[in-house]
Amino acid sequence: MPALLEAHGLVKHLGGRRVVDGVDLVCHAGQVLGLLGPNGAGKTTTLRMLYGVLTADAGTIRFDGVDVARDVGRFKRQLGVCTQDDTFDGDFTVRQNLEIAASYFRPRPTDVRRRTDELLERFALASYAADKPEALSGGFRRRLMIARALVHRPRLLFLDEPTTGLDPQARVAVWDLVNGLRAEGLGVVLTTHYMDEAERLSDALTVLAQGKVVAHGSPKAVLGDMLGEHVVVLEADGVTMPAVAAWLATHGLGEPFAVLGAWHLPLSAEQLADFARAFPALRYEVRPPNLDDLFLKLALVPWAG
Amino acid sequence: MGGLTAAFDWQSRAVVGRHLRVYLKNWHTSFLPPALEPITLLLAFGLGLGAYMASGLEWHGRRVAYIDFVAPGMLAYATFMTAVFQSLFGAFIRMRYQRTWEGQLTTQIELRHVVWGEVLWAALLTTTYVAIVALVLSACQALGALHLQLALLPVILPIVFVSACAFAALGLCFTALVPTIDHMNLPIFLVVLPLGFVSATYFPLGHPVLAALSTVNPLYHLAESVRGLLLGDGVDGHLIGLAVLVVLMVGALVPLDMHLLRKRVLGD
Repeated sequence: MPALLEAHGLVKHLGGRRVVDGVDLVCHAGQVLGLLGPNGAGKTTTLRMLYGVLTADAGTIRFDGVDVARDVGRFKRQLGVCTQDDTFDGDFTVRQNLEIAASYFRPRPTDVRRRTDELLERFALASYAADKPEALSGGFRRRLMIARALVHRPRLLFLDEPTTGLDPQARVAVWDLVNGLRAEGLGVVLTTHYMDEAERLSDALTVLAQGKVVAHGSPKAVLGDMLGEHVVVLEADGVTMPAVAAWLATHGLGEPFAVLGAWHLPLSAEQLADFARAFPALRYEVRPPNLDDLFLKLALVPWAG
Repeated sequence: MGGLTAAFDWQSRAVVGRHLRVYLKNWHTSFLPPALEPITLLLAFGLGLGAYMASGLEWHGRRVAYIDFVAPGMLAYATFMTAVFQSLFGAFIRMRYQRTWEGQLTTQIELRHVVWGEVLWAALLTTTYVAIVALVLSACQALGALHLQLALLPVILPIVFVSACAFAALGLCFTALVPTIDHMNLPIFLVVLPLGFVSATYFPLGHPVLAALSTVNPLYHLAESVRGLLLGDGVDGHLIGLAVLVVLMVGALVPLDMHLLRKRVLGD
């Protein structure tokens, strides 16, 4: 059975710059694919090519095994898109926003009234149905954006940083909704800056840096491949740090990540054993790596070329 | 070519449908300007300024009352201004502040449909506006203030619609180019108002330079076509001049709008 969405060798130049450089990715039905990377990695451009707003300079996108270039309109009928910024229609109420969004699809969604009621109920928006979207709180605006992306019953949903700016409670509510959609068999492509969100929600990760895919796989596999099994955290006290920096350099590990006066060193099991032998008197903490470490590493390492 | 044929796609109609729905929500406030503007202008220009020209003015070798000269000009001017302002301010606000376009582009609507939707909506709104102005002129005629061939008023509406498409395409070009809404003054004062003045809408163009310039002004040909129809003088080649300019404008400006807006909206 073919993947729901499959992209191969996507390339895009914007303003004379190669913003996306040969990106491959796959998303299956009932799977959340996390698309990660630091600012300027090419996530949004990749996403915009995937949902058909930008045309790729090279590469192919397949939906259900069929090249989408053959009928972009038909492909877009299967997609729901929730952009990073709120783009609902301020001239209409919450309910009317869903109705108007439904009018932008052919074949027309069936029984729009019932579908709208169903979404208002599911996203806890029913009591705001007659209000203008600007009257909603940040969390409910996000709910409206996601509900709007689902009004035509798409099979694949794009969520571009769906929880940015939300309080923890609203974030968890959005996670629950995404989880429920996945359980219903929807494919979800998610970009986020919140590493805990990516770890909790994603079944697979594709990590971009400077327009290229630098890692792909399950969150655990990606972390293992890119960071190793452990992260050593030690206070940067100025006395032992030159020796640690020299040790890192001799092991080809480059710069450590410095966070609030502490150094975070991603190491494999062998490297950790080596480190313990080299610094027997040093006090440090060892923890499993997380996506924050990956993010910091991506921000530090020059991936170009 | 696909950019031009997108005018007939369902997506373009869906965009127009969205704008129409907003308009109908506010119909009571939207109805007022076209109903009041002709009354104000007829009073100011027709009766006020016209009082100084009791013998009327010479047009196509015959004397016509100034108010009868102005009334068809008002229809042409309303066509030009409504279409240009809708595609300038209305479209800019939807693009920049309301982000309506961005939302539409995440659906089956493509940029070419957004552009055509804006052009067709401006044309539809303009035609509605002009129809309301025409109704007010008919009321003035019934009161004896005007002497026009009103039976030909319905013929004017399709002419207004296609002319408004060309004017809206011009307005959208500026929408794509101006960095902020404050910069709208530049196209308004450098292009829109000069085109409006060199058009024989409110006064005949006696000066030879102005007359020469007006030959490439679609608003001039529109004003003379409408005037020719409503004053019973025929369209005298102006309708052909208008048709040529409208085809050229739509054929050149709509693809240009799409190109410029693709850069502006999508960064592509």
